[in-house]
Amino acid sequence: MQSSRFWGQGDSESEEEEEEVESEQGSDSEDDGGRGAGGRGTQNRYLKTQEDDSDESDSGHRVIRSLRDKRNDEMRSIVDQMRNAMKINDWVSLQESFEKLNKHLEKVVRVNESTEIPKMYTKALVLLEDFLAEALANKEAKKKMSSSNAKALNAMKQKLKKNNKQYEDQIQKCREHPESFEDEAADDIDDDTDDDEDSGAEIEDPLEVGSDSEADDKEDPDNDNTGPWTTVNKKDKMDKQFLKDPSEITWDIVDKKLKEIVASRGKKGTGRIERVEQLTFLTRVAKTPAQKLEILFHVISAQFDVNPSLLGHMPVKVWKKCVNNMLLVLDILQQYPNIVVDTSVEPDEKETQKGADYNGTIHVTGDLVAFLERLDTEFFKTLQCTDPYTKDYVQRLREEPQFLVVAQNVQDYLERVGNLKAAAKVALRRVELVYYKPQEVYDAMRKLAEQPEDSVEEGDAETGDEPQAMDDNRGPPPFVVIPEIVPRKPTFPDSGRTLMDGLMSLIYKYGDERTKARAMLCDIYHHAISDEFSVARDLLLMSHLQDGVQLMDISSQILFNRVMAQLGLCAFRAGLINEAHGCLTELYSTGRVKELLAQGVQQSRYHEKTPEQERLERRRQMPYHMHINLELLEATHLICAMLIEVPNMAASTYDKRRPMSKTFRRLLEVSERQTFVGPPENVRDHVMAATRALNKGDHQKAFSVVSSLEIWKLLRNREHVLEMLKLKIKEEALRTYLFSYSSCYESLSLNQLTTMFDLSEQHAHSIVSKMMMHEELHASWDQPTKCIVFHSVDQTRLQGLLFHMADKLSVLVESNERAYEAKTGGTLEGLPPRRRGEGQDSSNLGRWQENFVQGRQGGGNRSGYAGRGGGSGQGGGYQRDRGNQGSRGGYSGGGSRFQDGRGRNQSGSSARGGDGGARMVSLNRTGRV
Amino acid sequence: MAEHDLTARLAAHLDRHLVFPLLEFLQERGIYPEEEILAAKLRLLAFLRDPQRVQLLRPDKQFNIHILQERFQIGPDQIEALYDDAKFQFECGYYSDVTAYLHHYRVLSTNSERSVRALWGMLASEILTRNWNAALEDLNRLKEIIDLMNSSSPLNQLQNRIWLMHWSLFIFFNHENGRNGIIDLFFQDRYLNAIKTNAQHLLRYLAIAVVVNKRRRNMLKELIKVIQQERHSYKDPVTEFLECLYVNYDFDGAQQKLMECEQVILNDPFLGKRIEVGNSITVPIRDEFFENARLFIFETYCRIRRCIDMSILAEKMNMKYADAEFWIMNLVKSSKLDAKIDSVSGTLIMTVSRVDVHEQIIDSLKNLNMRTYMLAQNIVDMSQAAQQADRGD
Repeated sequence: MQSSRFWGQGDSESEEEEEEVESEQGSDSEDDGGRGAGGRGTQNRYLKTQEDDSDESDSGHRVIRSLRDKRNDEMRSIVDQMRNAMKINDWVSLQESFEKLNKHLEKVVRVNESTEIPKMYTKALVLLEDFLAEALANKEAKKKMSSSNAKALNAMKQKLKKNNKQYEDQIQKCREHPESFEDEAADDIDDDTDDDEDSGAEIEDPLEVGSDSEADDKEDPDNDNTGPWTTVNKKDKMDKQFLKDPSEITWDIVDKKLKEIVASRGKKGTGRIERVEQLTFLTRVAKTPAQKLEILFHVISAQFDVNPSLLGHMPVKVWKKCVNNMLLVLDILQQYPNIVVDTSVEPDEKETQKGADYNGTIHVTGDLVAFLERLDTEFFKTLQCTDPYTKDYVQRLREEPQFLVVAQNVQDYLERVGNLKAAAKVALRRVELVYYKPQEVYDAMRKLAEQPEDSVEEGDAETGDEPQAMDDNRGPPPFVVIPEIVPRKPTFPDSGRTLMDGLMSLIYKYGDERTKARAMLCDIYHHAISDEFSVARDLLLMSHLQDGVQLMDISSQILFNRVMAQLGLCAFRAGLINEAHGCLTELYSTGRVKELLAQGVQQSRYHEKTPEQERLERRRQMPYHMHINLELLEATHLICAMLIEVPNMAASTYDKRRPMSKTFRRLLEVSERQTFVGPPENVRDHVMAATRALNKGDHQKAFSVVSSLEIWKLLRNREHVLEMLKLKIKEEALRTYLFSYSSCYESLSLNQLTTMFDLSEQHAHSIVSKMMMHEELHASWDQPTKCIVFHSVDQTRLQGLLFHMADKLSVLVESNERAYEAKTGGTLEGLPPRRRGEGQDSSNLGRWQENFVQGRQGGGNRSGYAGRGGGSGQGGGYQRDRGNQGSRGGYSGGGSRFQDGRGRNQSGSSARGGDGGARMVSLNRTGRV
Repeated sequence: MAEHDLTARLAAHLDRHLVFPLLEFLQERGIYPEEEILAAKLRLLAFLRDPQRVQLLRPDKQFNIHILQERFQIGPDQIEALYDDAKFQFECGYYSDVTAYLHHYRVLSTNSERSVRALWGMLASEILTRNWNAALEDLNRLKEIIDLMNSSSPLNQLQNRIWLMHWSLFIFFNHENGRNGIIDLFFQDRYLNAIKTNAQHLLRYLAIAVVVNKRRRNMLKELIKVIQQERHSYKDPVTEFLECLYVNYDFDGAQQKLMECEQVILNDPFLGKRIEVGNSITVPIRDEFFENARLFIFETYCRIRRCIDMSILAEKMNMKYADAEFWIMNLVKSSKLDAKIDSVSGTLIMTVSRVDVHEQIIDSLKNLNMRTYMLAQNIVDMSQAAQQADRGD
């Protein structure tokens, strides 16, 4: 048995050697040292083998002797080397030897099984100190030194000072009684057995890892000899303190070390990853659960520190470890309910000293919510930075449930301790990961999360889960063992809606304003993607969110824009063309949809962005999987505009009413100006082609062009939507036809219309009746023959112009009155109530508004159009405020504000909000060129 | 027919005592199995009777209050006791006393919240004692209080409004001027919003009130807008009828819905109130509703037609040919309808009235003239006044 254990020892040493070789970037000297040790290892192996051959029974004893001797011999030889170096004043090799010495010290101490450091070492330190003082005093000699030598000298000075602090007593003693230290160090080796050898060998490893990572961290090759060795040096100290019997490690030691490491944050020369390693190591040796928790908090924040830049993201591996740490934290909190995480209370110095059996509450400083939010942000950032077409992206996306499980656990914990406000914040984070997922995607995620762990891990194997697992196995067994209590797998209810509802009710009850508003937006979004338009609309209006959008932060504004886009799509799917148009028209009125939805950066020709702005904008981008398909959005918007605008244009050949959709008109003008009309290529071309067909009343062609668009594949109920679209196109074709050609007919039979437009008799009848009622069509039915009889009410050109003049005059008078009012502050007496609302009726915004403008009984020839809007528009529903009746159409109000908000959206600087109008014009020109 | 019954939805917003008459009505109509209603009633009765066990305490308490009142040494505790006593009386079913008690309480009490509650109590007991005039007064008072409740949360206000509207149904369908009242109340913005938000089923009553009330025809447009908005959350034959007629211009559909409306009205506790005239029982609201609905259909129908076959018209109006002819003749004679009957072909020919374009233009310009004149006048007045003021100084 002994021999095999020895073999193990030898192996571990050679393994160490390999690792050191691996860390090739390290200095040569390090390499040498490693090889040297390795070489000796092999020598010993030979030696031992011989002995084994000769006599197995007592080999154990001899082995121990040889090992102990070996260590001491090594040390002695190093000390000799140092002496030699001193003689020739070679600081570089002296420094190397010093490092080596320190490294060996730990081994020797382990072998000797005593806390005392060998006298030999102390002596060497004294020697060094003296020599250093001498060298420093000799300024001339210093000047003569080569640069590398001088550098080494300086480094040495620093290190020695630091190092010697630990051994102050011994050094002092040594100086007082140098003779006692003359004895050979080997003497104080006691005859302990090597019980702990195995664990000792294991403990080395984290150190090696530490130096590995440190080696990675290095940049400056000149620094080589100092960088890695410092680390090892530190580790050395740590080991000295912690490699003892668990019983000997006290809370104080751990606490002191923790403070030391924490204090090193941000200092030059402390590697960030290394700090994490050190702290992680500390968690193992923490004495009390509370202390472990405290250290874990530090680990987590150190992990967040790993990536210092705002643009980059945390390495995925670190993120995962961080997730695990969070779970560990929750385990602790669950097991020891008396530990309270708090930011408000300044904890007592010795707070964490209270052990697991302490009954009162223990306060530990920390903010779970902040950690969780940071975790989420980092996850978001990785997705932002990853190319969505790579495997990495998918891989990363698969890790979402991991985050969700932490979030769920944190929320559960916070609810348990009654911190519901914080719980609401966490709930919001969860909501924001779920809200954009339609049921299918949600199901997929649920399935992924419920898969057995192995199959999920399979894919991850290459990405480095395994080394991590190995990491966990190394090192000493943690003193405070925490079983995995909190669930490691998320549990999802069957439908996304249920999950959302649960989280929503929590947020509405306890969340702060911003949390509530965002949650509300997410909720609306989710309703919209699940095709519940009316619910989504009601929520939007009742919450008065539009009123406050411009006051919200940019990311909320983006969310709002996304909601509006999704609401528009939802309305379109439900066949509510007017509503859909109302939702989308704002987004498209400036032609910077991408920017508004944060789905890519749009380059404007007329406005150069500063790099700062660009960076800000890039940071706001939505990850690819959350994107709303822009083509679908554009098609929806344009088709809605087409369905509204085409009959509108046909109706107003004489008087040019304000167009319902300016964007659409503009596009139409552009396309009409083209000399050659090629086959449609993009979405816009398709819709324009359809518009041309619809203008002539050719509904079949219009539909076939529109339905040939690729994007309809993206719709869930494609057949249904296309069917709806077909019907709408037919209806509008009929209306357009009647508007355009009614003057050419004396009468028109219903039969003819139904065959022309392929509509049912009842439907056609209803449409025509509606037009008659709204005085859009001057005609009436002749019932016995089922004919439409047209009345000729055509105005002459002069009459038309007169109407125009009358309109303009009334606008003039109105503005006069308004001016008078503004001047005097009173209203004019004896005047009929002005109909201010009507002046705006035909604008697209007015349509949302008009329903609230009461008393439009008058209005002469206009009422036809107004009436139509009133008849078919449901805009009134948008104004559903209780209590606040004073405000006018919530929607239109929101519209303009929305624009304000956009000013900020674009650049993040409100200064540019004002030039929106000017730029819109320039964009307009862009379109025409 | 049970699918259009609103009792369950209404009951949620009513006092338990107020539910009782509704249940009785349902029992009479026999829509639901007898046992179910009885079970519901029994549960109610059990609740109502329960306090009677404690009734023994009552005389004593009342006595105390009496004594104290006589000696004019009433402390706040006693006043509160008065409230409690009234509540107690109410629970016992002695509604008539409650009103008086609560009235006194409201005079004496300083606790505004309880005073409001007392007002609710008064309203309930007045409704239950069928004292409609007093109830209407209380209703208006409550309404003012609710509108002034700015401090409470909007949700609370909303809830109060909805309660008020539900309770008011009792009054409005019984009080002689109730039909105007209901339109006035429900069409107020806040109340309309409340209906849209949480009590869409009240649209039925509003719709009926508007249809029945000839003078309030101008509200129809607004009503239809609301009905359309709320289509996804509430519809019944009454609202569907209006939708068919005024949104889709689907006369056959409207006709059909009208037939369905009859049952709905008859089975509704508020609408289906019967009056015995002589030996025949009539439901006044039903009759009025039908009369007006028919007129609506006819009007709309004629408006978009130039020539109508009388037999089809009669069929659409659910009348016999002769009746229809007579009815139309009356309309024409009273110059409500600008049309002529061609009895040879059996058609009704509408005279198409066309607005002259010149007239339109003149109309729109005439108004301008007046407005400009007023403006000028005002400015002149103002400047003159300023001048006089200057001279005066």
